[in-house]
Amino acid sequence: MDTESSLPDVLLRQLIAVGQVDVLVGLPTLNNAATIVDVVRAVHVSFTRDFPRLRTVMINSDGGSTDGTTDLIRGATFTEADRVQTSHPLRTLHRVLAPYHGLPGKHTALRTIFAAAELTQARGLVIIDPAGPSTTPERVTELIAPIARSDVEFLAPRYRRHPRDGILITQLVRPLVRALYAVGLDEPLGAEFSCSGRFASHCLEQDIWSHESARFAIDLWLRTEAAAERFPIGQVWRPVPTVTGSKTTLRDVVHQVVLAVIESLRAHESFWRNANAVSELRTWGTDPAVMPDVTPWDYQALAEQARRDIVEIRPLLEDVLEPGLFVGVMDNVNGSAPRIDDELWVRTVYGFATAIQHGRAAMDHMADMFVPLYMWRAAAFMSATVPEAHTAVQTRLDALCDTFQRLKPTLVASWSNEE
Amino acid sequence: MIQEIADALVTSWRNFASAFVQFVPRLVAATIIFGLGFVIALVVRRVIQRFLAWMNFDRLTLRSGASEMLRMAEMPPAEDLIAKIVFWIVWLGFIVSAVDTLQLAPFQGLVEEFFRFVPRFLVALLVLSVGFLVANFLWRATLLASVNAGLPGARLLSGALRVLVIAIGVVMALEQVGLATGVVLAAFAITFGALMLGLAIAFGLGGREAARSLLEEQLRAKRERESDTAPHL
Repeated sequence: MDTESSLPDVLLRQLIAVGQVDVLVGLPTLNNAATIVDVVRAVHVSFTRDFPRLRTVMINSDGGSTDGTTDLIRGATFTEADRVQTSHPLRTLHRVLAPYHGLPGKHTALRTIFAAAELTQARGLVIIDPAGPSTTPERVTELIAPIARSDVEFLAPRYRRHPRDGILITQLVRPLVRALYAVGLDEPLGAEFSCSGRFASHCLEQDIWSHESARFAIDLWLRTEAAAERFPIGQVWRPVPTVTGSKTTLRDVVHQVVLAVIESLRAHESFWRNANAVSELRTWGTDPAVMPDVTPWDYQALAEQARRDIVEIRPLLEDVLEPGLFVGVMDNVNGSAPRIDDELWVRTVYGFATAIQHGRAAMDHMADMFVPLYMWRAAAFMSATVPEAHTAVQTRLDALCDTFQRLKPTLVASWSNEE
Repeated sequence: MIQEIADALVTSWRNFASAFVQFVPRLVAATIIFGLGFVIALVVRRVIQRFLAWMNFDRLTLRSGASEMLRMAEMPPAEDLIAKIVFWIVWLGFIVSAVDTLQLAPFQGLVEEFFRFVPRFLVALLVLSVGFLVANFLWRATLLASVNAGLPGARLLSGALRVLVIAIGVVMALEQVGLATGVVLAAFAITFGALMLGLAIAFGLGGREAARSLLEEQLRAKRERESDTAPHL
């Protein structure tokens, strides 16, 4: 990988001036003026107080913020409390600002940061989500420490979620990644992570960066790439992120997740076809212990919308799904209450993955067809679990993971068998 | 008198025999061309079938929806249909050539006509095929886009679009082969124009309130949809 050619000249000059570092902190930003100063301060305090001997650089890769984010980073100063904690700094925390060039999206920012890590020969790299909750110095330290000690080479966040929170994660992404990649990763999607410089260099050599789907697939791809290439993976407790003010609709999110999953499955086919025994991961950091409550939402309305949509796209589903599967899905949809049992749901997910792989329709169309099926499943899950205690719901989630694992051979068998 | 009758009979017989002697070789040649053409057409059909199977043509037709459309029309699979069409074109070519060999006055110039017609026919088939593929793709894309946008009558809208695109493809194909071009174009233009005029009147005069309500509901639903991801991530 030609590292220098993927870095803009202004960033290259700054990095050459910085020289070799131990840890590189990446801050991909886009209009994060509300939180960025606190993030910068937290990083500074963490490094100066907890890693005084490490050579560090913080790189902001900005996607064209219009709210003054980059100016705030450049001009961030520190409070008296910060200075007390960092009163005897041994090293300078270099701060480098550079917009990224190329296709807009997080993947371009990450590629720039990875390239910078390779150029500066950083042993560790940490990506901070500037919109993440409560980025305190302690949280930053927890994200860096296992990588700095070389305990693991990829560290993903883990949240103490309520079992009815994060339905797309718990009903689809988590059990799928667990079953196929044989790794007990709680959060396969997530903006924050830390990794070794070796992993960053490995990722730079892969083909993912030029793919259109990398715009939204990169987070999942990084985690599955770490699993597939057998980099030691760990988890770190983080506060549950809050999704507010998002302009992305549920349909868009599900569409993107489906494409991200397929991209990963295609990239790592030779690994997941043979991976079996699930390895549980060590978790660092402070367990929040307290589980946040879940805000009630109208799953009945979601079920009705899903029912209408599935009836409308029925001819398309009939073309894509196997006859037995199609009949099972339609029987459930025609019932009075939202319902789809675990086995049918998993077979539907695997059926769709196979249909996409066999090219039965354009991938974008297939992802759109899957959206109402996921909506139906989400509504069915809520309908079944609202009266239950969270321990019972957690048992259901564990059973779903087992079902994904048990039916994995059907996916392996059908993935390459073209009709 | 009897001698004249005899001479007439002999002359007539000689003329018939002469014509027959001239015709028989042509008939034999035509029969050979007919039979040979059948064999060659069979071989070409088999080659085409093997070639399409090797190319995984059935996957393409499955993905484009063409195989489903053919199945609904109770027609053979696409690769068999293409092979049959090629078979008939090749054999018809030999049949026409055989007829031309007979040098029958009403059929003079048939070969030239046939070979002028075949390219237009093939282009017409191509236009028809592309029309079906485009119609299917647009049907699927429109259905999914309409469902995603929450538009009512998504299946009706997408189905109407598919019928329209297929109709345009059929008209273009008929124009290509030169079959009743004027009639077909006029019928299409009148039908399409009448349909659009009727829709414009119905929507513009009778559906104003409904259109306003639909737009308001769409805007409201859009605002709600923009903030519905929280429980899922």
